[in-house]
Order: sequence, then structure tokens, then C-alpha cells
Amino acid sequence: MGAAALAALAAGLALGPSLVPAGVAGLGACWGVSAWSRGVVPGGTIAAAAAIFVTAELAYHSLDQVAAVDEGELLARRLAALALMGVGALALSALLLAALGLKTGGGLVLEAVGVAAAVGVLALVFALARDERETER
Amino acid sequence: MKRTVTPKLAAYAVLTALGLLAALVAGRPELALIAAPFGVVLAAGLAGAREPELRLALELERERVLEGDEVTLEVDLHARRGASRLEVLVELPPEFELRSGPGRVALHLSTGEERQLELRLRCGRWGGYSFGDVHLRASDAFGLLAWEQTIEHRLQLRVYPRPEALRELVRPLETQVSTGNRVSRQKGEGLEFADLRPFAGGDRIRLINWRASARRNELWVNEHYAERNADVIVFLDSFAEARRSGEGTLDQAIRAAASLSERYLAQRDRVGLVNFGGVLNWLRPGTGPLQLYRIVEALLNTEVVLSYAWKQIDILPPRTLPPKSLILALSPLLDERATSALLDLRSRGFDLVIVEISPEPFVEEPPGVSGALAVRLWKLRREARRREYERAGAPVAQWRQGEPLTAVLEGVSAFRRHARARA
Repeated sequence: MGAAALAALAAGLALGPSLVPAGVAGLGACWGVSAWSRGVVPGGTIAAAAAIFVTAELAYHSLDQVAAVDEGELLARRLAALALMGVGALALSALLLAALGLKTGGGLVLEAVGVAAAVGVLALVFALARDERETER
Repeated sequence: MKRTVTPKLAAYAVLTALGLLAALVAGRPELALIAAPFGVVLAAGLAGAREPELRLALELERERVLEGDEVTLEVDLHARRGASRLEVLVELPPEFELRSGPGRVALHLSTGEERQLELRLRCGRWGGYSFGDVHLRASDAFGLLAWEQTIEHRLQLRVYPRPEALRELVRPLETQVSTGNRVSRQKGEGLEFADLRPFAGGDRIRLINWRASARRNELWVNEHYAERNADVIVFLDSFAEARRSGEGTLDQAIRAAASLSERYLAQRDRVGLVNFGGVLNWLRPGTGPLQLYRIVEALLNTEVVLSYAWKQIDILPPRTLPPKSLILALSPLLDERATSALLDLRSRGFDLVIVEISPEPFVEEPPGVSGALAVRLWKLRREARRREYERAGAPVAQWRQGEPLTAVLEGVSAFRRHARARA
């Protein structure tokens, strides 16, 4: 599964951005299955969250270079920003992990909040896509 | 600027939603943790995205260059509102080669910052160019939204053909009535000695040849050849060309036409141009630097235009081809209309010289025995055509790519000297 995810990521880097989300999602799923079968280690969750996020950022950074190569100054800025975002992802994951206390059954209210968040994100995507089509017209 | 959504935004939204849904379905909050950084970036990126405000100016170092020269293009960027990542792409004609500088670059522009990009371009082919469209693509700090704009500029650059080195020009057989630098066949005011004759009333004292007069015991005077100019018509055949790897017969013809015009005009001859092709252009003969500019400008607009219309020399206005003018034809001898027109000119008594821009270096021989046979037949047919011109009294000189034009013209001059001697 991991190999398939890495292959999808590599194909995304070579052919275009459409395969990158599949690769990143595959990595996440791979980690999820591994954690489910072997048991969750809190430190591992934090590191995996940050690593998958940094992998996705690096993939899109590489794809940006196809259109135009970054100048030295911009490259330094982006690498610094990426390092900051990696640290931020670690901190965020740690914070959330602490907040959740690794309780799997969050109750009806927590699940409702989760569903609302997921639906909200999807609605945002549709709204942006619709807005984009109107701009093109 | 037109706003667009990058694939990254869609991907992050899908990853966030997928992580949250998977966490809910599987009942494992760790999956939501994995998706959380993507969601945070999505929210922060959309909340903080601002459309950049950019101003751009382009400036060329020069407006006129010679073929093969380099010219600097300056791109000035000013950001009223900055862009975290700005891609700049300057659209250049395919004939231009970017020698240094960024033709396509991504940079960071802070608010109020000014940047200057310098592009060094090599102009590979003659012509009049109008270019300078710049494509800008700015993205926000997280690369989720992008703003695109194409700024149209119409920079004008005239690339003049590279001059050919010429030591000798083909001398016209006839001269005109205006004063020039050529020794005429007619006697008159001039420096070149022509003959002696007995003194007649009205002759100037300074023309008396005292030595000859002393020997003959009567006054004899020197006669001179008049110094006149000539009319030269550069006849450019643009019906067809042979082209291979960026070079073609038309390029050679244009370089030769510009160089010949310049040299004949420098000798105070009147030079005209007939561009005989799919599009017909002509310039009546004239003298001076202004005429040179007119000719070169007309040459820059020359291109091979596909046309099936049969054209003869009759369609040219009468004064375009003055009597007694030397017609220098630059032709690859590929199109029947041009080759017939040249024979027609010769049959009308014009002093015609044909410089054949040889298409052979540009022709790739087809494979196989039949291909080789076809090429051989084609060459024989061309050779027969040359003989036809020579029988009509028009010398044909082959000019191959890489050979100096001056050697070709010297060959023509030698042919004409021998032809006169035989006559």
C-alpha cells in the first residue's frame, strides 16, 4: 500500500498535480492501517502528521518549479516557511493529541462537530470551484 | 488580475475532508490529526490571501540592430501590494535566443518593492519584430490562490540583415545621364582618357594635348569618357524558398540584396527593388541614404507567401524597370513564374545577371535508388535551365550557403568580360 502511494506521488511529480493528493492520501491511509494493526504510539502520530504534511508541501513546491524556477531569495524564503510549517504541524498535532487524550469514542456531539467540519470543507471546495467558473465567464 | 484556484487548494481541501470523514467512519481521531495541518493551511491561506497590485514596464536598449547582434531588454516591476511568489514570463519571438537573464522566473516582491530584470537577447534572423507580452502569475503565501494577468506590450525591433563582404560589384553595361562614379561609354566631361581629336572652335585650352599637337603641327585635344551613374534593380524572387534548420535561401537573398543596394548606392547609382513573389512590392530607383532605408525596410517585410496566381513581368509599373538598367536577380530558381519572368526580362533587352541562391544545401536527398535518381533529374533540369539563361545572354552564378558573395560576383564579372571579348 505504501509502495502504491509512493508510486502515485512519483507519478504526480512527473505527470502533473492531479495524482499528488492520491499519493498523500495513500500515505495517510498506509499510516492509519499500520497504526490500527500495531497500535497507536502518540509520538508516532505527531511525527507522521508532520511528515505527511511536509511531503505534500515539498511535492507542490517541486511542481511549482516546472513553470518557473524560484530565485535564490524566494527559495530561501520558501524553505524557511516550510521549516516553520513543519514545526507548526508538529506543534498542532501535539496540541490536538493532548486535547483529545487519545479517546476514540468522542460521543455524539464530537462526531456531529466532525461531520460538520468535513461537510464545511467540502462546501468550501464547491463554493471555490463555482466562483472560479463564474470568474472565467 | 484574474483569480484562479490552484490544484493545491483543491487537494488540501479533499485531504482535509477525507481525513475528517475517515476519522469519523473508523472512529480513530488520529486520522483527523493527520488532516489537521492541511485544514489549518487551507483556512490561513484563504483568510490571508490578497490580490497583488503590480506595475510593469519594458524597455529595449535599441530599436535597430544587425542580425546576430545582442540587445538588452529591461523589465521593471513595481509592487503596490506585494506577491509572495510572482512568476514572470516574457514572450519572445522564436527567432530570438535568450543569452542571459531570466526569460521565465519566480521571485518574491514585497509591498512597495521595485525590481529590474535584465534579459540579453540575440537576434537570430532579420525582420521587423513586434513583441513584449509579459505573463504574470502571482500566488499567495501558501500557494492556494493565484492571480494571472497578461500585459501586452508592442516593442518594435528592426533586425537588419547581416552585410555580406563585397570587394567588387558587377558593372552595368549601360549608364544613365546623371553624373556618377562610373566611366560611361559615351565621351564627355570626365577624367578617364578616351581619344584625341583635332581642335575645334569652342574647345577649352586645358583640353589641348600639347605633346600630340607638337608632333602633328596642329592643335589636338584630349577627349574623355563621361562619368555617369547607372540604374540597378535588385530583383528578389520570393515565390518559394528552400529552408532547413533555421536557414533558407530567402535569408541569403535578403542579405545579398541589402549589401548590394548599400554598395551600389555608395557609388552614387540609382537602386530600385522588385520583390517578385506571392505579394508583389517594388521601389522605383533612387539614390542616397534615404533610398537605402526604404529598400532595407521593404526587405524586412519580405516573406514567402503561398500564391497560385500566375504573374508576369507586365504587372510591374512601367517606371519600375528603367531602360538600360542592370537587373540583378536573386533567385533560388524554384518557381516557374520567376524563372519565366527572368527570361522575359532578358528578351526585352535588359542587362540581366542572375545570382542563383542554390537550394541544394537545403535539400535532403530522399532514401533509395529512386530518391537519388529523382534528385539527379532535378539537378539536370536546373542545369538545363542555367544553360537556357546563358544562351539568352544572362550569366547565372550559383551562390551556395557559406560561400562569399564577392567570389560569386567576381565570377559574373569575368563571364561578362569574356562574353564581350568574344563578341
